[in-house]
Amino acid sequence: MDQLLQAIKDSITIGCLYALIALGYTMVYGILKFINFAHSDVVVIGALSTAVLGERMLHKLAPGATAAWYYGPLLLLLAILICSTVAFTVERLAYRPLRRAPRLNVLITAIGVSLLLQNAGQLKFLFGTEPHPVPMLIDQTATIFTVLGVKFRWLDLAIIGTAIIFMVALDYLVFHTKIGRGMRAVSHDTRIASLMGVPVDRIISFTFITGAALAAAGGFLYALRYQTVTQPADTGWALLGLKAFVAAVVGGIGNIRGAVLGALAIACVENFGAAYLHPGYTDVYVFVILILVLLFRPGGILGKAVVEKV
Amino acid sequence: MSTASRQQGGFVEQGFREMSVALAARGVSKSFGGLKAVQDFTLELPTGSLRGLIGPNGAGKTTVFNLLTGVYQPDVGVVELGGQSILGLRPSKIASLGMARTFQNIRLFGELSVLDNVKLACHVRAEQSMLGAILRTAFSRNEEAAIEAKARRLLQLFDLDDRRDEAGRNLPYGDQRRLEIARALATNPKVLLLDEPAAGMNPQEKLALRALIRRVRDEFGVTILLIEHDMGLVMDICEHITVLDHGAVISRGTPQQVQEDPKVIEAYLGVAEESEKQ
Amino acid sequence: MPTHVLVARAALPFLVSLLLALLLHFGVARFLDDYDRGLVMSVGINIMLAVSLTMVNGFTGQFSIGHAGFLGVGGYVAGAVTYATSLKLYGDLETRGSMLSGTSLNVDPATLSWFGQGDLLFVASLLAGGCAAALIGYVVGLPSLRLRGDYLAIVTLGFGEIVRVLIQRTDKTAALQAWDRVHPGVPAPEGVSRVFAIENSVLDPATGLSQTTYTAVSDANWFEIAPRVGGSLGFSAVPDYTSIFWVVLFAGVTIAVASRIKRSTFGRAFLSIREDEIASEAMGVDTVRYKVRAFVIAAFFAGLAGGLFAHFKSMNPNEIGFARSFDIVIMVVLGGLGSISGASIAAIIVTLLPEWLRGLDQYRMIIWALALILMMIFRPQGLLGVREIWDKALWQGLVRFIKREKSSPKAGGGA
Repeated sequence: MDQLLQAIKDSITIGCLYALIALGYTMVYGILKFINFAHSDVVVIGALSTAVLGERMLHKLAPGATAAWYYGPLLLLLAILICSTVAFTVERLAYRPLRRAPRLNVLITAIGVSLLLQNAGQLKFLFGTEPHPVPMLIDQTATIFTVLGVKFRWLDLAIIGTAIIFMVALDYLVFHTKIGRGMRAVSHDTRIASLMGVPVDRIISFTFITGAALAAAGGFLYALRYQTVTQPADTGWALLGLKAFVAAVVGGIGNIRGAVLGALAIACVENFGAAYLHPGYTDVYVFVILILVLLFRPGGILGKAVVEKV
Repeated sequence: MSTASRQQGGFVEQGFREMSVALAARGVSKSFGGLKAVQDFTLELPTGSLRGLIGPNGAGKTTVFNLLTGVYQPDVGVVELGGQSILGLRPSKIASLGMARTFQNIRLFGELSVLDNVKLACHVRAEQSMLGAILRTAFSRNEEAAIEAKARRLLQLFDLDDRRDEAGRNLPYGDQRRLEIARALATNPKVLLLDEPAAGMNPQEKLALRALIRRVRDEFGVTILLIEHDMGLVMDICEHITVLDHGAVISRGTPQQVQEDPKVIEAYLGVAEESEKQ
Repeated sequence: MPTHVLVARAALPFLVSLLLALLLHFGVARFLDDYDRGLVMSVGINIMLAVSLTMVNGFTGQFSIGHAGFLGVGGYVAGAVTYATSLKLYGDLETRGSMLSGTSLNVDPATLSWFGQGDLLFVASLLAGGCAAALIGYVVGLPSLRLRGDYLAIVTLGFGEIVRVLIQRTDKTAALQAWDRVHPGVPAPEGVSRVFAIENSVLDPATGLSQTTYTAVSDANWFEIAPRVGGSLGFSAVPDYTSIFWVVLFAGVTIAVASRIKRSTFGRAFLSIREDEIASEAMGVDTVRYKVRAFVIAAFFAGLAGGLFAHFKSMNPNEIGFARSFDIVIMVVLGGLGSISGASIAAIIVTLLPEWLRGLDQYRMIIWALALILMMIFRPQGLLGVREIWDKALWQGLVRFIKREKSSPKAGGGA
């Protein structure tokens, strides 16, 4: 029973992390119809800049002490700023020249960008190759309540709360603002949207910035939860990105609410698989689910099958 | 109408029909979401005939082609090629059974040479195994030579042999259209569906095309159904015309009959709403 | 033409590969040290990987980015076959090679035959590895190739990762122990070598300590011997059969097979899928079936390459991860999507350049990444596009290009 409760709690927390990352994939796919392989690297940059800037700002902090409350939001804001700048630049320089190129070329470029960000990030004057400890922005052990031996920490609340705030904000942005209407229009049909006077390039830039902001939040929360952040080319990051993308596919690629649903589903598969099957093979469970979804419901949970026009 | 034709196509006449009907569609309907793209479409192409399918823009003509060639599956209805149902088959299987088509928005293999475009289409009749091709057996070598010869013959017929080494996408528009026909013929079809073969051609090319289509029918003995907006061409070469509007057949008959049919005139003049209410 | 001429022509590329392999093995390799010989073998293996991936990414225009997974499957299967069979048959892991394959150091070259029984085992294990990879390729390809191209990217990436994780998490390690450790004081029988028994380390759940047991190889059944992959430490207990001869021969065969396919009616079928899948289907090409075929053939050759790799270096989960897969993709893309010779040249460059640019090691991947991005923006078809260096059209195009440059220097680019 406590195992079940623990699995549910972890699924929701991890699911929130995945969701923030999955949203970036799904938004870019929805608009440009390609897998932005570099998205996971934006998450890494978010996590690493949280760690590195936190180290710089709080190096005088006594070991074991917790930083003042405002450092968290401040670092989150900085991470968002950095990630958005990176994503904007990447879109502008690497993806925009390929707007009319075949999808395969864009996909290869995305891989190139991902490799570039990873390896540039490893340079000594950026993040280096050593893992970075994250300063205590929140008391790791402070518990709100304990049920059946399962601790509900303030940390979990912070992660879930932040994620929900971001997701609600995104939902409002996409479905209730003018720029959101532009995003939906471009996603529906880029050509017609541009004929209708939607500034397509600006909308695409904005989409990348929004996705990067969510990725930054994901990276920030990751740093908060795991306390150390490894170097940018660590395969764990690519795997994290891949799982988030799988979440987006499972939820229905291009569908914003689907991405959140898919992320929760993937987190459940992982955590329940780890709890009840074998903890070593979580990645395998995720990809088995992906293949099953692609086989039996290629459109995902909320997506619909696409018919190619002849 | 569909019930009538289904009775006609009943069991008793099956043997006779196999001889005479190359392609038949009976009561075929297809909707996308809420939109009824094609409703209760029925058509029979006697072997060796040259017939036309016309209708205003958006009438569902290309959808009919896609339904006949297996790109889309009809919601209801039957499609038969040489008396054999081809429902549920992949387009490639249907092509191997003897139906070929061209595309309204030209779909050549742009990077491949003109010659290779046609040679590819011979693939469906190739009998060699991949292992044979890797080992370059005598059989594979001979077959490749036969494919080359057949492709060259077709290109000569279509006046494209001089440009055989150019990439498909570098051809002028009219040549691309003709190359698509040559490519379709290379599959040895019994039935050939041409989707707006004259679109984008200049008047001389259109005239030459008329002769070419007739010649293809006579020399290759194929049954041809074509979609075309150029009424001069359609009325000149088609023996029988089916008119589609809003996904439904509104008229059929000889060019003369169709031209005089008030429903067709209404459809083309854009007072279609009234005829729909009737 | 008389029959024997036809047969000779059909066999020509394979004979050329054989001759080249012999030449390099007995001629050039003499003047190289071990390190350089290793480089030559790495180049050959990478050519096999790049050319095989060209059949999927270049010919059919699908996008597989988990090719290293097949290298892993082939390598581990081939390695396991030689490992287990050697132990079962000979009781040790010495190579029983010939003048053509890698040999143990303490064997007198004069006693070597042209083709030893070890070679037979080696080739059989390579084929087993290739077939295993092809089978896995079929299982992975069939569901994912029905979908649009970029889903294949994700599935193959996931597949490569699954292979890596499965191997990494397989914590059974096997160490071979000397005879006298298992049978202290008993002299080893005549003809049996020193390496003889399997050491099993099993974690005792009660005490939390690891317990070691020994099984004599002759007593162990096949299953006990075979599936030891060494977890994250790698699987190094594979006899070193791989030599320049075998690598060059198989690389040559891979290139020959790929170009024969490309120039045949099947090659046109593959390329047509890449050009326009709908038109290809309408012309009678069963696109799903052909995509799966290309994928399976590519997996087979990647598996062969994996087998060569396993008998050359130790198989290791890190060798078959994302990074390796991306390396192969870079070779294919730089060389030209669809060009066999282009992929081969790119494989040579991508393997050798970092060796020459040792000092720039931390910038190596940055340079590759930038090259990839710039290539996609300015020359998306890669170095050679779909052409081959032996295509006349390529050189004609080059001559035309140069002439145009000369005649109108201001026109630039030569669009």
